[in-house]
Amino acid sequence: MNPDTLPAVVDCLIPPDDFPGAYDAGVCDYIEQLLQTDLAEHADLFRAGIEAIDTEALATYNAPFAALTREQQIATLESIESGAVKTSWPIAPAHFFVMLVNTTAEGYYSDPQQGANRGRASWVMTGFEEALDS
Amino acid sequence: MKNYDAIIVGTGAAGGIVACILAEAGKSVLLLERGPALSFSDVGRDHLRNQRLAIYGHNAGPELIGNPRVFVDPEGRARIVKPHELDYHNNAACVGGGTRVYGAQAWRFHPDDFRMASKYGIPEGSSLADWPITYETLEPFYERAEWDLGVAGDGRSIQAEIPRRRNYPLPPVPSSPHTVALQHGARQLGWGTAPVPLLINTEPYGGRAACIECKYCVGFACPTDAKTGTQNTVIPRALATGNCELKTSAVAETIETDDRGNVIGISYFVNSSGTPQRETARAKLAIVSAGAIESARLLLNSRSSFHPAGLGNEHDQVGRNLQGHLYPRAYGLSPTRVFNGIGPGVTVATIQFNHDNPGIIGGGMLADDFIKPPIDFWYDSLPPDLPRWGVANKRFMRDNYTRVMHVRGPVQDIPNPDGRVTIDDAVRDKWGIPVARLSGTTHAATVESAEFMRERGEEWLRASGCERVWSMQPGLILSGRQHQAGTCRMGSDAKTSVTDEWGRVHNHDNLFVVDGSLHVTNGGFNPVLTIMALAFRSAEYIARLI
Repeated sequence: MNPDTLPAVVDCLIPPDDFPGAYDAGVCDYIEQLLQTDLAEHADLFRAGIEAIDTEALATYNAPFAALTREQQIATLESIESGAVKTSWPIAPAHFFVMLVNTTAEGYYSDPQQGANRGRASWVMTGFEEALDS
Repeated sequence: MKNYDAIIVGTGAAGGIVACILAEAGKSVLLLERGPALSFSDVGRDHLRNQRLAIYGHNAGPELIGNPRVFVDPEGRARIVKPHELDYHNNAACVGGGTRVYGAQAWRFHPDDFRMASKYGIPEGSSLADWPITYETLEPFYERAEWDLGVAGDGRSIQAEIPRRRNYPLPPVPSSPHTVALQHGARQLGWGTAPVPLLINTEPYGGRAACIECKYCVGFACPTDAKTGTQNTVIPRALATGNCELKTSAVAETIETDDRGNVIGISYFVNSSGTPQRETARAKLAIVSAGAIESARLLLNSRSSFHPAGLGNEHDQVGRNLQGHLYPRAYGLSPTRVFNGIGPGVTVATIQFNHDNPGIIGGGMLADDFIKPPIDFWYDSLPPDLPRWGVANKRFMRDNYTRVMHVRGPVQDIPNPDGRVTIDDAVRDKWGIPVARLSGTTHAATVESAEFMRERGEEWLRASGCERVWSMQPGLILSGRQHQAGTCRMGSDAKTSVTDEWGRVHNHDNLFVVDGSLHVTNGGFNPVLTIMALAFRSAEYIARLI
């Protein structure tokens, strides 16, 4: 599995701005941990789905997902989300995409003990913790 | 073998109270709880594994492995479900039961909630019925529950609809910015509002501290024990008498009967020595307080030649009329920040629409909501037309988490006899006991009420200044979950009910059900205070019998 793919994907799902993107928040670590525990029985399919994202990018743009422009990355993910893929997928693309989006949000917005949301950045961003800090 | 005066199965809202009243009356009590006693740190603060958001697990039991149920969807497809899945209809399995981690809304039912069939007639396909008792009969026991355990609220604000002789012992929780906005909106609409009554110490009470207004209330345990459950009130009282023996991780298997069919005790599994062990305890009287699903399961699993269909089930009534609440939810985007981080977050309600709505059978209460952790908000509260990912999604979370106002409420469930608990002999738990099988849905009239209440929620938010309003409305599904009720309904006719008005199973002298199973209907309110009031009433009656 290309190690650059998942970081690029999660940063498309929750991009960096004034607050960290999903990768810097630790979402890949969260997902990796989940695949070894609660999602262990789906881990092979999940990893196959990540590889299929790269296959899709290569078929469309002749480059791996991480090397695409942000616009190309978003277009690739949109076609996966809608199920309109060019290549043969090992897992229903739209179903896989929901799992990808949900796990990314879980890592980003839940408690740091899960392995992501480093520095409680999303809690400060949303204001969930602001009242305590101010 | 010791012969107890009473064995009680379950330590939740009802079982804990019955144990306390009997033990304080000098009766010897064996109190069985299938789960353990959970400390604050046992329950924890896992945002993905709690009673409110249980994606990969939960925090108040039962354990995910070895405790399956079977769920049959509306198309008739059966599948095995784990305890943290929505279709399991879990409540909790620990000392205190659901009260260990609930939100603690402490509503009385409306007087008309006890006479639904008389007031509205019986819709086709429904088993809507009147209670065998009235609000006036239960009123002193509501008061007893409010003062013995400690409820915070303002009874005067709902006196016209739900009359009471005595106010709550504690003042209501303080207002938040969204409270003020919703009160203003209600005034614009001509609706009344009231502080939400809560089993939470807003001041020190009963030897426990006051609420420190943290953000983790519903779904979690309280760091200061200010949230009131049976585990920190009536159960310690019961144990202090020396008359009550509490056995935890003790899983009831069957209610034992003698060679004439009379109840003589209960058999249960314990695991104290590391190896599963089956024990039988004898008692003059057995009280089943395991929650609407597990209480029905225990009766149905107690089969003998005298009772081939299970105890109390001569007329195929045990397990029927499973009901909880559909929860219409509405959200609005306020022009200003309304979140101040002060918990529990639920503050204001309207009971304007619990009854007398045109074309609707019943209705429900609407209130604001508990503080939602951001991931709960992300799953639950975003507008349906918002992209689930990308810049727009992050921007919404960033800009609007503190500006979204939440309104939701339980809708009076119109019971359907086909929404039910049976047992599945082909699927066993880790002790080998046949598991609960859940099937059917609520009645279609419940969905009509939910739609009506969803519209009221949107109306309230618009009047409260929200620029943008959205909502989610439940479909025709089985309701149960943490508000589960109705499976051993009270009544005077053994053909259409399971127990008499005291919870005594028809045709039995010494077998009682005391919990939400007794509810003939489940009100348009959170049911726990009604479960507690009925428990006080039945327990005082039972204490006089022994």
